[in-house]
Amino acid sequence: MSENDIILSGKDVTKRFSGLAALSEIEFEILRGRIYGLIGPNGAGKSTLFNLITGYLPLNQGEIRFNGQRIDRMATTRINRLGIARSFQIAKPFHELTVYENVRIGALFGSDGPRDTNEITTDALALTDIEAMADLPATALTVGNLRKLELARAIATRPQLLLADEPCAGLNATETEEMLNILRTLRDRGITIWLVEHDMRAVMSVSDRIFVIDAGVKIAEGLPKEVANDPSVIAAYLGAPVKVTGRADPGSGTPEA
Amino acid sequence: MNTEAPNRNSMLPFIWISAVGLLIFLIAPLVVSMFMVRVLQLFFLSVGLAVSWSILGGFSGYWSFGHTLFIGVGAFVGGNLASALGSDWSPLGILFTCMTAGGVASALLALILAYPLLRLRGIYFAIAMLGLAELMSELASNIDVVGGAMGLMTPDIVPEKLNPAVFYYYLFLVMGVIILLIAARIKYSRFGYGLTSIREDEDTAKMLGVPTERYKITAMVISCGLVGILGVLYGFSLGYFTAPSVFRVDFSLNMILHNLIGGIGTLMGPIIGAGIMIFLTQVVLGNLLNLHVMITGLLVIIIVLLAPAGILGTVKKRIQTRRLEKKPKVFDDE
Repeated sequence: MSENDIILSGKDVTKRFSGLAALSEIEFEILRGRIYGLIGPNGAGKSTLFNLITGYLPLNQGEIRFNGQRIDRMATTRINRLGIARSFQIAKPFHELTVYENVRIGALFGSDGPRDTNEITTDALALTDIEAMADLPATALTVGNLRKLELARAIATRPQLLLADEPCAGLNATETEEMLNILRTLRDRGITIWLVEHDMRAVMSVSDRIFVIDAGVKIAEGLPKEVANDPSVIAAYLGAPVKVTGRADPGSGTPEA
Repeated sequence: MNTEAPNRNSMLPFIWISAVGLLIFLIAPLVVSMFMVRVLQLFFLSVGLAVSWSILGGFSGYWSFGHTLFIGVGAFVGGNLASALGSDWSPLGILFTCMTAGGVASALLALILAYPLLRLRGIYFAIAMLGLAELMSELASNIDVVGGAMGLMTPDIVPEKLNPAVFYYYLFLVMGVIILLIAARIKYSRFGYGLTSIREDEDTAKMLGVPTERYKITAMVISCGLVGILGVLYGFSLGYFTAPSVFRVDFSLNMILHNLIGGIGTLMGPIIGAGIMIFLTQVVLGNLLNLHVMITGLLVIIIVLLAPAGILGTVKKRIQTRRLEKKPKVFDDE
């Protein structure tokens, strides 16, 4: 593994909220071109970690590097321009704009360099399969399509790394499978993905590697199969072992672990 | 699917209405009474102010409740500079020099204020601006050099044989058109889309790479600079003014009101809003001075209840709803 393979790394990442540690000495290395999962019970610190990486919150100690460059003191705008995009846990479309305009804003800004705004926008809409809704106001979309819009807007910024915060929240089994396929397509296009997901089947089937945090501490890291059978993970989070299959089963709903 | 430029179609009626309106306004002073000339002059001033306000308040969502601050700064910078320039200068030379100075001074003040103030969001920014406008009004009244208490006389720059009302009518018309063109240019630019994303959700905008800090500051500087230029012109049109006649809370409120009634964030909204309000308060209720504030208040309540998105916003929503309802039919035809 060469240095160039590491797209994102964190050392000793710690965040305290009025003295209480939300994240303690988290270490991570994300390799280019793969899908990573980040799991843990509610309040474990998953979204906080994403907030630290994207510059919404300052670190108390430690460092975060993107392509070898320290980003932990940078403003969110600059971090995005370097090539990190993020979709939010709660889809936040720009309500007064159409679907097309929503995605176009991502294309107009985002990573530096030459851009063909219309081409990027159309491409992002096609990738997420919401082309047909381009001219609708964002408010007219269903939950499933809002999730896709959230993703389309993020990838229109032309990221190297996508942090997806619960992209499958609120989706049914078919929609979840569709979303996972979109994520796989993005990975095949060279975008590294790190996703937070509560749907265990989904995250196990799509991830190449998984981090588990609990109460702000990393308790496990490894292949989906290893993580699923790790006793500390089972104790902290899963409750019962999850059968790891090749892909999520669209017929059986999306049981919350 | 309209992928080329989603805004072209919405621009077209705007251009047509503007062209026809402009033509009518150009010849109006030859036809209408002096009273109407004064009413229209006030209308153009109000449009200029409301559209300038909208560049910050309408586009980026940062509502200023104290934009009259910059009318005052413009008027006093222009008035004091005019007295300093003396009689060697040509009238138009004085006017343009003062307008430039008033605009630059307002823009610079906005630049200084923007950095700390635009960290405040929503109502906090609005109130901070309201307070600053009051503070500046007090300063202008109490610092003798500024002359706010005694009042300032502006030089008579109206060409001979021209009625002052007609002269200022055309000046306010030209400024209104220029400001409208600037606003239109901004709205459909990358900068304009950035401002819209800030208004809709500033945190998401940051994550999409929108330079939110820089854009907000730029919008405020442009918005306040334009109001400053109008302030100079307004001061000149008064001939004599004191601090209370230019630092007027009702100016600040009207800028918001005209946008609110017409449709916040749109280009035509402030024009429609200013048109309705000026016509009602000056023409319809002009002789009922005691009642007009009350009726204005009632009217605002009715419009806000019936059309919370403003007149244009409500029309736009109607059209969208109708299009959505039609959608299934289109699929059937295929």
